[in-house]
Amino acid sequence: MRYDDPDERRRQFETIALPCMRALYNTALRLTADAHDAEDGVQETYLRAFRTFDNFTPGTNAKAWLFTILYSVVINRHRRARREEGPWPVEELEARYRLLVEPPEGDLAEVEPSSVPLSTEVEAALRAVPEVFRTAVILVDVQELSYEEAARTLGCPIGTVQSRLFRGRRLLFAALAEYARRAGFLRSVQP
Amino acid sequence: MTESDAHPGDALQLLLDERLTPERRASVEAHLLGCARCHRELDALRRVRMAVRERLPDHEVPPALSARVAAALAQDPVTTADRSSRLVRLRWVAALGLSAAAVAVLAIALTRSGGRDPIAQAAHDFSGLESGRIALQVETADPQALARYFHGRIPFAVRVFDFGGMGYRLRGGGVHRIAGRAGALFAYEDAAGQWVVCQMFPGTLSELAIGVGAEEREHDGIRFRIYRSAGLTLVFWQEGSILCVLAADGDVEAAIQLAYAKAE
Repeated sequence: MRYDDPDERRRQFETIALPCMRALYNTALRLTADAHDAEDGVQETYLRAFRTFDNFTPGTNAKAWLFTILYSVVINRHRRARREEGPWPVEELEARYRLLVEPPEGDLAEVEPSSVPLSTEVEAALRAVPEVFRTAVILVDVQELSYEEAARTLGCPIGTVQSRLFRGRRLLFAALAEYARRAGFLRSVQP
Repeated sequence: MTESDAHPGDALQLLLDERLTPERRASVEAHLLGCARCHRELDALRRVRMAVRERLPDHEVPPALSARVAAALAQDPVTTADRSSRLVRLRWVAALGLSAAAVAVLAIALTRSGGRDPIAQAAHDFSGLESGRIALQVETADPQALARYFHGRIPFAVRVFDFGGMGYRLRGGGVHRIAGRAGALFAYEDAAGQWVVCQMFPGTLSELAIGVGAEEREHDGIRFRIYRSAGLTLVFWQEGSILCVLAADGDVEAAIQLAYAKAE
């Protein structure tokens, strides 16, 4: 939508985009694992969004639009900067997950129903999931975007979002279980 | 086909996210009746989704980030570009037959008001802040901290009023454009949730229209222009080359007294 009055354009942008700052910051923080990188990413996202605000269609999901820009800004910059490694190799988490859903005969290793994970454990477990899968979990489960909106944000087919999300959730479950095991809620299950 | 091949796999996730057709859903649910493994897998997916949705901490935006974003937007060249294109549109108006004098008057009016009357915009800003439609860039209860924030971001000295003795606590503020001019905005709230919003920006009392509902008063040698509309009171006064406005709803005289107390 084209705005003739720059003050009105700015006001409209602030009204639509600024309320999303908390969601953007939290997402950037989880994608970069660094507060400074997250702040830089959010600032750059707002600048790019402001410059392309005429392309935004009023009434559509502003958060999804901003996430598309954030993903482009933060992920590309972060990937260039460094390759992060989680505390556990993906293969180890996947083997652990298989044992949890399909334990050896007579060894029902389940998380106790009362073992609600601490928020810090969920944060740490999410960080243990590789970025490509973590992003799908963040967009769909944390920010509650639809598969279609997440696909537009990531610039990939819906089927890719679906498979990344599935793998991300499995890895996250295995990482959460590892924290539960360490806290004594789960018997040791070695892959 | 082995038993493993028959497991629905990621269709369990689609069941959880309610994305299956009724036929596929019935098929997966039938499989679940006889498969403990898939039961555990569906339970695992449900647990992890719940953990992420309900247990993940929600971090506050650092005040410095809000300020950085506001400052970056205020300085972005896109605003300059928009203003240039507005001048182009004015030239088109001229080309379409308006007299040169009429164009000049219109251009002067736009330059002076920035496209919006300061009175209307002060009222608009008040309702925007009160309703949460407009976010404060910096949230602080410390007037000195907010004054330090404005230093270097606003091209004039900003005096953040302290209404603590009158029962109003500072909520925060930010750099804000009013009538096309960069100014300082700060907001207060009392225990009953009543807001007071103050703004300082370059301007003069003489640019404000004297219409219905306007009133002139003088207090301690300072002239005040007061506007009342729909329960909202706006009190304007001049401090050097800066125009100040205090906006408040509720008791009109209380709002005027607040302005009297802070005007210099």
